[in-house]
Amino acid sequence: MVTEKRIKEILKGLHDAVVTFCEDKAAEWAKIALDEGVDPFAASMDGLTDGMREVGELYSKKEYFVPELLMCADALNAGLDILKPVIKESGREAEVKGSIVLGVVEGDIHDIGKNLVKLMFEVAGWTVYDLGRDVPLDKFVEEQERTNSEIVGLSALMTTSMLAMPVVVKKLREKNAKVRIMLGGAPINWDVVKKFGADGYAEDATTAVDEAIRLVKTLKKGNPDSLPDKRILDIQGG
Amino acid sequence: MAKGTGMMTDAQRIKALLNRQKPDRVSNWPILEVSFAVIYDKAPIAYAYNNPEFALAAQRKACLDFDWVFVPETDYAEQGAWEFGGDIKWPSGEFTQAPVVAHHPIETPEEAMNLKMPDVKNAGFIPIQMEFSRIAAQEKLDNEPFNVSTSFQGPFCFAANIPGPDKFCKWLIKKPEAVHHLLRLSVDFLVGVVQYWKDTFGVDNVLPMYFEPTAVNDIISPKHFEQFVLPYHKEFHQKILGMGFKHIFCHICGEHNMNLPYWAQIPMGDPGIVSIGHEVELETAAKYFPNDIILGNINPTIVQVGTPEEIYQASKEVIERGKKLPGGFIFATGCDIPPMASVENVMAMTRAVNDFGWYEEGK
Repeated sequence: MVTEKRIKEILKGLHDAVVTFCEDKAAEWAKIALDEGVDPFAASMDGLTDGMREVGELYSKKEYFVPELLMCADALNAGLDILKPVIKESGREAEVKGSIVLGVVEGDIHDIGKNLVKLMFEVAGWTVYDLGRDVPLDKFVEEQERTNSEIVGLSALMTTSMLAMPVVVKKLREKNAKVRIMLGGAPINWDVVKKFGADGYAEDATTAVDEAIRLVKTLKKGNPDSLPDKRILDIQGG
Repeated sequence: MAKGTGMMTDAQRIKALLNRQKPDRVSNWPILEVSFAVIYDKAPIAYAYNNPEFALAAQRKACLDFDWVFVPETDYAEQGAWEFGGDIKWPSGEFTQAPVVAHHPIETPEEAMNLKMPDVKNAGFIPIQMEFSRIAAQEKLDNEPFNVSTSFQGPFCFAANIPGPDKFCKWLIKKPEAVHHLLRLSVDFLVGVVQYWKDTFGVDNVLPMYFEPTAVNDIISPKHFEQFVLPYHKEFHQKILGMGFKHIFCHICGEHNMNLPYWAQIPMGDPGIVSIGHEVELETAAKYFPNDIILGNINPTIVQVGTPEEIYQASKEVIERGKKLPGGFIFATGCDIPPMASVENVMAMTRAVNDFGWYEEGK
């Protein structure tokens, strides 16, 4: 029987392997967790995923940047590759916090930002339907309808491809007035979000999940006009 | 010289700044305007990149119609992969802006380490750029301070495009030797390109122009900038200046605030033209580059989605702040002028320059 002390040690090993972006150690600690009888679900959530949360905080504080984030994600996945089959066998599932359809709009192939957003949503327990990059505009509507996701996230890096966003927003609204739409990417700001008729904006991957949670709350309250103070201030400030 | 009294041409204005003299008025030089120009000329955006004759004519026409400085240039942000054996896809469709990499020449660090230098003159986009420059060199208008440019991405961006930026980012940590090898190749390649242009056109009418959009702090840390960008970019600029070019146009693209102390260690020329995005304040740039001309920096997003009045006001603010910079100032968009921006929006920038860009005599 594994002791509480040893469980803590293994969870810390998993956590630290992610934070220090060490793939080999993440895989090694995941094997140890299984070998020594640690609950694989706890190893995943309280070890690996918890480490990724800290990585998100380091990114917010500008201590980590994209290379570190990508490496941490590889470490996370190295551990999850070992734990996931066992978790699946057990039939145990994490609580799903929400679902989002994500993609880089047609005409744009720059997907580093979108992939980081995807990672943050997965870590936060969301189901992500990732459409990839250069996504035909109707695909967003079809996927939202198929999955009944609360949120659709659109990404664009170029001033040309961002012009696809209001087209998607209009198509989505025509099909489902309730869906909440987030925009992101280098040329996007709150003013653009307003002009394109979308609902939410995240400056970077680490704030995207909080923004999605806020939007889901407005959905539940049935208050489509509910805006955070920052958005109102930014718009008023021009 | 005040408004309306024996006006200077844009070529004279830029030359005055390069001679550390004050021009009569701020110049308007929206960068990377070729894709806007071909759309303005009602042609497919791909012509900006694969039809040198049309691209040049369109750029010339737009520069005259909007009263812009004209320095012929054609390049795209993902350059590097094609030159080293990959493939690109020309822009097509309603929302695309520029060529994109369809196939990267390398996938692994081992392949990176085995990558060899291609023949500079026949690599990827170079023959098209050379054809563009050869046509451009045939005439020089009053708004052309230079009628040829060597317009490329900086060594870091160029190197990152060879395997793709996501792999390159991981290799910064995981396989730094592969990154150093790609940077070495990129610097040598780009120096070879500048030498090719010098051999063909000399130095007097040629402006070396470089863009660095990948080394931003939205992607890499200042520590990685110091380690991987600074030494190579510094060497690159030193070699260009060593060839006899007096000025370098360097576009520090995007969020580079934490990198500025390192950028300030890179020689830009006497003086250089330092182009900044809207993410960097004009005054901050002037602090780091007190002896160089600052070019910038209205937010391109405003030019795309704003109203003409919003753009006019935003331009006014940039121009009035820029006029106070000690090393000289050129008004511009903070990055590519949006290709799909409306004529009214772009004209609002020109109106603002004409209304607020004039220097009062003696000030």
